[in-house]
Amino acid sequence: MDEVNVNTAQKSKPADREEIVIAIKALKKSFGEKHVLKDINLEVKKGENVVVLGRSGTGKSVAIQCIVGLLKPDGGSLKVFGDEVAEMTDKQLKELRIKIGFLFQSGALYDSMTVRENLEFPLTRVLKLNDQQEIDKRVEEALDSVGLLEAIDKLPSDLSGGMRKRAGLARTIIVNPEIILYDEPTTGLDPITSREISDLILSIQKKYKTSSIIITHDMECARIAADRLLVMDDGVFIAEGTFKGLHQSTNKTVEAFFKDIL
Amino acid sequence: MADEVIVPGYKRWLESIGDQVAFFLNFFRNIFTGGFEWSEFVRQCYEIGYRSMMLVGITSFIMGVVLILQLRPTLVSFGAASMLPKTLAVSFIREIGPVIIAIICAGKIASSIGAELGSMKVTEQLDAMEVSGANPVQYLVVTRILATTLMVPILSVIGDVIGLFGGFLALNLQDSMSFTLYFTKVVASIDFSDFLPAFVKTIFFGFAIGFVGCYKGFHSNKGTESVGIAANSAVVTASLWIFVIDAIAVQITSLLFYR
Repeated sequence: MDEVNVNTAQKSKPADREEIVIAIKALKKSFGEKHVLKDINLEVKKGENVVVLGRSGTGKSVAIQCIVGLLKPDGGSLKVFGDEVAEMTDKQLKELRIKIGFLFQSGALYDSMTVRENLEFPLTRVLKLNDQQEIDKRVEEALDSVGLLEAIDKLPSDLSGGMRKRAGLARTIIVNPEIILYDEPTTGLDPITSREISDLILSIQKKYKTSSIIITHDMECARIAADRLLVMDDGVFIAEGTFKGLHQSTNKTVEAFFKDIL
Repeated sequence: MADEVIVPGYKRWLESIGDQVAFFLNFFRNIFTGGFEWSEFVRQCYEIGYRSMMLVGITSFIMGVVLILQLRPTLVSFGAASMLPKTLAVSFIREIGPVIIAIICAGKIASSIGAELGSMKVTEQLDAMEVSGANPVQYLVVTRILATTLMVPILSVIGDVIGLFGGFLALNLQDSMSFTLYFTKVVASIDFSDFLPAFVKTIFFGFAIGFVGCYKGFHSNKGTESVGIAANSAVVTASLWIFVIDAIAVQITSLLFYR
C-alpha cells in the first residue's frame, strides 16, 4: 500500500465496523494555549499493529493517554469497542482499562515490589483472583513469554532497562488485554535489545491476537512490528501507509524518518 | 497592575483548596467502597509506626531531660522543687509531647510519603496503576492516611511515657526521688481532662500528616525536581496544619474542660 492522505484513506476505505476496536474522529486536545492534538483521525482493526511515528512533542503519547482515559479530549470522538470513552462512568472506564494494556516508556514497574508482586498486582487487585496456584501459573507463563522467568524474585532496581521493559510487558499481557498501547517501547535500549523487544511485540500480537498502537521513533521497531504506519506532525496525521510505501514518500517530514533506512 | 499580580495567586490558592477538598472526598469515598487493602495498611503501620519509634523515643527522652533541667532552677527558687513531676507531666502530656512528636512525625513521615508518591508519579507508576484498572487512591492513599491516623497517637503515648521517664532520670541527677514516688506524683497530677483532649488532637495530627503527604505526592509535577519539592512542601504544610489544629484544639479544650 502506498502512502496516502489519512483523511482520504479513511473516506476511501469503507471500514468493517465489526472489526474496528479503536475509532478516533477529529480528536482535539490542548494544554492552555498549546494545541497538541488538532484533528486526529484513526481506526485500528482487531489484530492490527499500528505504528505512530512523529517528532518528540507532536502529541503521540497524549493521543494514547486519551484512549485509556488518563486525559480527557477537548473535542472530537474517541470510541473503543464502540463506546465513547469520554462518556463512560468510572465503572465502565475501569472495565475498559482491563481490556487495554499500556506499556509505559519507563516500564513503570512498582519499585517497592518484586517482579512477581508487580505481576500479581493486576491479578489480585483488578481480576480479583484468589487461587494462589492459578496466580503463580499466570505469572510464570507471562514471564516465560517475555523470557524473564529467572528474574521473578528481583526488585525493579536490580533489572536492566531491557529487563524492565520486558517485565512491564509481562505485567501488561498477564490480564490478556485485547488492545495494547506501547509508549516508545524501545527508547533508551541498545539496538540488540530494541530488536528483541520489537520481536516480542510481534510475537505477542500473534500469540494473544491483540490490536496495538505503538508510539516509536525506532524505525527498526516500526519495520518489524507495523502492519500500518502513521506519521504525526503538529497535532495531525500527515501520512499513512505500509513501511515500504512510506519509505518512498516525498514528504519532507516522512523522508526525514526514512533517510537512513536502506 | 496590582490586580494582575494578585488574581492569579488567589486563583491558584482557590484551585488548590478545591483540589484538596476533592482529594479528601475521594479518600473518604474509597474507605467505604471496594476492598480494604489490609496487607498494605499493616505494612504502612509498620513503616510509619515501628520505624519512627526510635526517633520519637530518643527525642521524647531528651525533651523530658531538658524540661526538668530548665524547670528546676525556677521552681527551686520558689521553693517548689516538689512540683517538678507535676509540672513536667501536665506540660508534657497536654501540649509539648503531642505537638513536638507530631512535628517530628511530619518531618519523617509526611516527607517520606510525599517523596514516595511523588517519585511514583514521576516514574508513571501512578498512571500505570490507574490504567491497569486498579485504584491507586484505595491502595496508596487510604492505607497511608489511616496508618498515620492510627500510629501518630500511639507514638505520642509512647513518647509521653519515655519523656516522663527521661524527666525522672534528669531529676535524679541533682535530687533524689524514688521511681515509685515520681510516678505516683505524675499519675496523681494527670487528670482525664489532661490526657483525653491531647490524645484526640494527635488523631487529627496523624490524619493531617498522612493527608498532606499523600496530597503533595499525588499532585507533584512530572520531573525529578518535583519529588524534592513534594517532600519539602509536605513537611512545611503538615507542620503548619499541626499548629493550626493545636490552636483550635486548645480553644475547644478550654471551653469544654477548663472554664
